[in-house]
Amino acid sequence: MDWGNRKDILVFLEQKEGKAVNVGLEALTPARTLAGLTGGRVLALVVGTDNAAAAEKAAVCCDGVLSVEGSAFGDGCADALTCALEAMVNKYVPAAVLAGNTPLGRELTARLSARLCLGSVQDATALKIEGDQVLWTVPVYGGTVLNDVAADTLPMAVTVRSGAFSKPEASVAAAVTAETVEVPADAVKARVLEAVKEISEAVNLEEAKVIVTGGRGMGSKENFALVEELAQLLGGVVGATRPAIEEAWVSRAHQVGQSGKIVAPALYIACGVSGATQHVSGMSGSGYVVAINKDEDAPIFDVADVGIIGDAMQVLPVMIEEIRKRKAE
Amino acid sequence: MAYLISEEAQELLGAVKDFCEKEVKEQCKEYDRTGEWPKEIYDKAIEMQLHMLEVPEEYGGMGLSRVDVAALFEEMAKADAGFATTISASGLGTKPVLIAGSEELKKRACQIIVDGGFGAFCLTEPGAGSDASAGKTVAVKDGDSYVLNGRKCFITNGGVASFYCVTAMTDKSAGVKGISMFFVEAGTPGLSTGHEEDKMGIRTSNTCDVVFEDCRIPASNLIGAEGKGFSIAMKTLDQARTWMGCIATGIAQRAMEEAIAYTKERVQFGKPVLKNQALQFKVADMAIKIETARQMVAHSLTRMDQGLTYSKESAIAKCYASDIAMEVASEAIQMFGGYGYSREYPVEKLLRDAKIFQIFEGTNEVQRIVVANNTIGRF
Amino acid sequence: MEILVCLKQVPDDSVEIRLKPGTEEVNLDGVANVVNAFDTYALEMAARLKEAVGGSVTAVTVGPEGAKDAVKTCLAVGANQGYLISDPAFEGADTLGRSKILAAAIKRLETEAGKPFDLIFCGREATDRATGQLGPQLAETLGVGVITDLVDIEQTAGGICAKQETEEGYRRVEAATPCVVTVNKPAYDPRYPTIKNKMAARKMPIPVLSAAELGQVDPGQPGVHVVKVYEPAKRQAGVKIKEETCADSAIKAVGMMAEAKLL
Repeated sequence: MDWGNRKDILVFLEQKEGKAVNVGLEALTPARTLAGLTGGRVLALVVGTDNAAAAEKAAVCCDGVLSVEGSAFGDGCADALTCALEAMVNKYVPAAVLAGNTPLGRELTARLSARLCLGSVQDATALKIEGDQVLWTVPVYGGTVLNDVAADTLPMAVTVRSGAFSKPEASVAAAVTAETVEVPADAVKARVLEAVKEISEAVNLEEAKVIVTGGRGMGSKENFALVEELAQLLGGVVGATRPAIEEAWVSRAHQVGQSGKIVAPALYIACGVSGATQHVSGMSGSGYVVAINKDEDAPIFDVADVGIIGDAMQVLPVMIEEIRKRKAE
Repeated sequence: MAYLISEEAQELLGAVKDFCEKEVKEQCKEYDRTGEWPKEIYDKAIEMQLHMLEVPEEYGGMGLSRVDVAALFEEMAKADAGFATTISASGLGTKPVLIAGSEELKKRACQIIVDGGFGAFCLTEPGAGSDASAGKTVAVKDGDSYVLNGRKCFITNGGVASFYCVTAMTDKSAGVKGISMFFVEAGTPGLSTGHEEDKMGIRTSNTCDVVFEDCRIPASNLIGAEGKGFSIAMKTLDQARTWMGCIATGIAQRAMEEAIAYTKERVQFGKPVLKNQALQFKVADMAIKIETARQMVAHSLTRMDQGLTYSKESAIAKCYASDIAMEVASEAIQMFGGYGYSREYPVEKLLRDAKIFQIFEGTNEVQRIVVANNTIGRF
Repeated sequence: MEILVCLKQVPDDSVEIRLKPGTEEVNLDGVANVVNAFDTYALEMAARLKEAVGGSVTAVTVGPEGAKDAVKTCLAVGANQGYLISDPAFEGADTLGRSKILAAAIKRLETEAGKPFDLIFCGREATDRATGQLGPQLAETLGVGVITDLVDIEQTAGGICAKQETEEGYRRVEAATPCVVTVNKPAYDPRYPTIKNKMAARKMPIPVLSAAELGQVDPGQPGVHVVKVYEPAKRQAGVKIKEETCADSAIKAVGMMAEAKLL
């Protein structure tokens, strides 16, 4: 592939409350692979009002941090962020622009691609270098079909799926370069009036070693407590399917699946989960899957190492008791 | 196979199927257990206008042919027979007005339905089932009013209707010729509902006693003329019966579909049990019966639409469809084996739902009398 | 408010879609085409807004002749009129290409009606490819603002105030009209069509706009091409446990988990 004069790989690093989000750091990994091909640098772009913490975090994983600070970026408004991203792309002439596949990451890459007429790849789960080709794997139809796609433009814009790549190992800290971007007043079209935090818990499904997930079959919020009890007992994290979240048994921060988090714990226990494609595509990378469902034909059993045919409300209390006993021994 | 319906009705069928799959089928499993009348499901059905399919176009309805409507009813019945029964019983409750009521009453009754109400038909009494002439409910004329007294029982929609078409004696000495038909709106003083039946099946429909205690209604609420009540009731039932056949066919269709789906998956002796010709023949017999019933329903409805006589055809449709619904549901349970007898699986409910269709709106024995009379003639 | 809802016809997402065995061809045999779920949410939100503040909702899609069905579906559940944008030249357009086509169509419809659209609704993503690009790209192409992931919307003096879902909760974001919004699943479900609306929608004309009618519009070449299509590696199903009682099954499963050194 002819990279022309484009060598650097620019990674947009999203921040939440002054901290770099995981998927942004993860995107530095495929960026490193690409930089190996282009012979360029991996540059992390942080944009906000105070980038110190995020820049520090990124500096040890890349070859340079570009820090754009200014009051215009205070409310996380995508209009100003798009301006900053576009300005940095114009200045550094990268071969690729990467971001996490978060709502913001998707919006920024979409807008950048419209402004610069770029090929844009969304929700990449893998990067393959085949001969001369740079191929990104993207799921379609809810994850039952995969496409390997190649971008036809330079730079290419890519968002990567949360949990698909692991964060780079930290090494020597790279330099942080302060950049200034003026955001024209007329560029800001949407204004954030307030940000309300409804979900205060930190749910780290991506890095969990054990996940216990409850689905529609749990039947009620009271029953869902059994899922939480088992997760706690195993030192794991609570997961949930979309129906369980729609029933408000647990907050949407716990969602596993196509529209939630993609997870790969060593042990995954699915309770009262039928196994819809959208869910299975988010957990099929798990090491060992245990499924509990009273419907013998539930598709979740097709991906389970151990399938217990029975009512989760009856199985879980005994399971919790038995694990407790074994732990005590 | 299915009803031969217009392209328009095909599209409506798709929408009704979507609604029933998402809002009725699974939800009614739980209501079947509790016996609660699922108001929220009916509210959604009303919003979609599924409750007013039988209202004539000139009174605010949609102007679909009866066969088109039958296809939609069957879809509702497949999801839950009690649900379809509630909606159909509302049509039954409206028929006396449409058959013999004044223009004003027709407009009134249809408007109530269009606005989201249900109708109910009140004929049966504790001592007057198949023998309607034994009814004890009376209506006495008093100036510009009639005053009703009596108790009706087994009234579908009794507790949820917005209006009732009620038979009552205006001349006790005249036998069936002394029966008249009245239109009574819910909320009329003296009208109340009594004992609610805890039924074997169609548990998502409401069935209860309707009680009249010095219930005073305007004289203009008399439907037709005094003494015509029995004749209006019989005409009403003549029409309504086919719809019961339609719902029964839906139950049978559901039973067959469940049986096929299950036996395709159920493996015994190393192969799906449906690979056994013994079971395939059961399915064939089911299909033969269901399709015959459906086409009898269609035939009767087409005759109604064309203004031809339909008394005999309607009786055949109802009697045959309900008999085969029982047979097919029973065979479906057999094909499920032990699981069919379990309430966790869907087929035992179908048998419970099917049974009433051999009994209400004229028992199948009465249907056979109707068919015999229409076939043999007087001699 | 004059509202436009952009929609996409997609294969029914409740069906598990696979490849034809041994090929790279997606097997869509017997899979019904439906309106993208997020677009139905967008339409419902648009219809509710129209019902609250007055105005009109127009539904539009880019696609083959068969996509008329998607527009017709929308006419029964809140859209006042609908258009199909269809031309052989538009086949294979990517989201950026479609945003250019839609932008040209919007100009054309605005000229025809003699008034501009105040709001343009899109679903947050389509269930088939789930890229979430169209809304923001359309906003850029039109040069207007965009707010993504709405779960609610209200009219304000000079524009709109939107409730935007975030990972931690929500944000209230305001923008002047005209602007583009993309819609996530709100707290309510899309309405079912009433029988009468369904029958009326059948009779409504759905004009088709071709490339010629949109003037000079070039969707351009897609910026990405597909090299390989395949199914993800399947997990092997393990053992199923169904003991006499649920308790026995649970104990047996715990034993197996312990054996696999997972406890």
